Amino acid sequence: MNSQPYLRTFTAPAVLCAFGFLAAMAAVLQFSLRAYVPGSLEPGGFTLANFADLLKPLYARVFFDTVWICFLTAASTLVVGYPLAYALVRMQNAIARSILLVIVVTPLFLGEVVRTYSWIIVLGNNGFINSVLRDLGIIRAPIQFMFTTFGVVVALVHVTMPVMVIMLAAGLSHIDRDYEKAAESLGAGPIRTFLTVTLPLSMPGVVAGVTTAFAWTFSAFATPQLIGGGRVNMISNLVYQLGFASFNFPFAASLCVAGLALTIVVLSALRLAARPLENIRPH
Amino acid sequence: MKRFLLALFALAIAMPAQAQDKLVISIWGGSWRDLVAETVAKKFTKETGVPVEFVTGGTIDRLNKEKLAKGNPESDITFTTSHVGWLYANDGLFEQLDVSKIANAKNLADEARISPFHLGAWAYVYTIGYRADLMGGMKFESWDDLWKPELKGKLAAPDFDPSHVIAVSALLSGSDAAHWEKGQDKLKALKPSFKAFFTNDANSQQLLASGETPVQIVLSMNAYYMIGQGVPITLVIPKEGAVLGIDTVAIMKGTKKAELAYKFIDALYDPEIQAEIAKLKKGSPAVLNAKLDPEIAKLPGVFSTAAQWKQQINIDAKLRAEKTAEWRKWFAENIMN
Repeated sequence: MNSQPYLRTFTAPAVLCAFGFLAAMAAVLQFSLRAYVPGSLEPGGFTLANFADLLKPLYARVFFDTVWICFLTAASTLVVGYPLAYALVRMQNAIARSILLVIVVTPLFLGEVVRTYSWIIVLGNNGFINSVLRDLGIIRAPIQFMFTTFGVVVALVHVTMPVMVIMLAAGLSHIDRDYEKAAESLGAGPIRTFLTVTLPLSMPGVVAGVTTAFAWTFSAFATPQLIGGGRVNMISNLVYQLGFASFNFPFAASLCVAGLALTIVVLSALRLAARPLENIRPH
Repeated sequence: MKRFLLALFALAIAMPAQAQDKLVISIWGGSWRDLVAETVAKKFTKETGVPVEFVTGGTIDRLNKEKLAKGNPESDITFTTSHVGWLYANDGLFEQLDVSKIANAKNLADEARISPFHLGAWAYVYTIGYRADLMGGMKFESWDDLWKPELKGKLAAPDFDPSHVIAVSALLSGSDAAHWEKGQDKLKALKPSFKAFFTNDANSQQLLASGETPVQIVLSMNAYYMIGQGVPITLVIPKEGAVLGIDTVAIMKGTKKAELAYKFIDALYDPEIQAEIAKLKKGSPAVLNAKLDPEIAKLPGVFSTAAQWKQQINIDAKLRAEKTAEWRKWFAENIMN
């Protein structure tokens, strides 16, 4: 059966969207190479000055901070998300599994802004954590969580968690339980079985989850904007602050182009580094 | 199929006819939209029988949309901030106003006559607002008080527009916004006082209400809103004056309802409507003949006489439109990071 006609029909909307996306990207690239004219919405002539500006230490630091925050978020989400995904796949009780699934997935149904505001209530000087610690007499003065990298990462982990858990659960559910049973029958305890069989076989899921969490965090805006309070900035915040808030669209476009290039480089490096882990298969 | 096409054709004919029968206003959403809907739009519809429809969005979203629709505007009238209005005007998006068609405009304060293209609709100030209950009896009389060591890590300011604090630093350094470079060192000395920078009105309110930043360079109308919600904020006007802010109104170039638009703006400047706006938002009327409720008139940041308007720090809107990007960049590089 020749499936080509159907293939063309089904891919037509995607191709159309791709053209729209490419046109938008071309516009951004074109803007990034134009001069900013103070007091005007129209950009001036072609220039590389916007990219030259990006070499200033401030911007290099924000780019580095972005990668660092993405790394911390992906790693923390993996550590917290793995046990949840494991429980989700292996739990025998269907009701408990459903409850866990709802808890894990619910954050996806809330907007990023709502989730972030809830973290402001938790992390603030008079927020939940500080109030409890103060009431218990553990601290006298509040611990500063807001406007710190720690606070931003905590909120981002919550935002990223559902995606990580779903991807890990997909990876874990593909593991043939017979391999674990075989390890146990040969005398391996639960911890050794997990470390030598389950964990290595779940690596494709781990790689997919970490890569997705990393890319997902790269474009975070509302969380670093509200929790970071201008003190912790990621690339998207700089684009907003320096570009859109001050109508300097050419500079905002150059930040976008540089951010996109950095994302491609970092994700490619991540894929390359993770390739041996992805290829782990039972022998 | 034929019937369906006929129905579609009829609908296509009917839609533009409906569009002729309403005046489309572009404005920020939420309380700003409600403010205009409950005051001037109500009066305008009552007088002309023409309903008002609102297109809402953020300052930049609306500016971008109108830029893309140049010549065939999405709205007939736009409300925006005075310096952003200059960006519309410079790009040929606003109609040059014939002020003779706006009878009530003769009472406008001088400062509200922003340009031949846009006029002030109401005013407010950016000034010092603080939580007296968290500041241990500290008082603010001058902008200089923000530099006191006791304020270390307690202050917040808008991250989208540093023009207020830049103008104040220049003023305290014996200069003005046009020569803002003279205030750079002074502003750098304020860096330890900043704890955070807020993104929007809601963010500003949250930081003050929670006490996270007990002192703010705050929009007076926002402060009064929070006071109304029970947050104990003290608003002060420093001896040097507060930084004047003006939201403006303009007619979009290419509108087919210019005459209605003029009537709308005239209704906006009706002294009773202006007094109502002042009462609802605790802002200042753009006209000098509005009779304010004495309780409103005595509030810090509300002014109704020509002399009171002149006491404020007024950054020229055109200068601000041209300098915002430069100021914002310098502020990000030297103060925020």
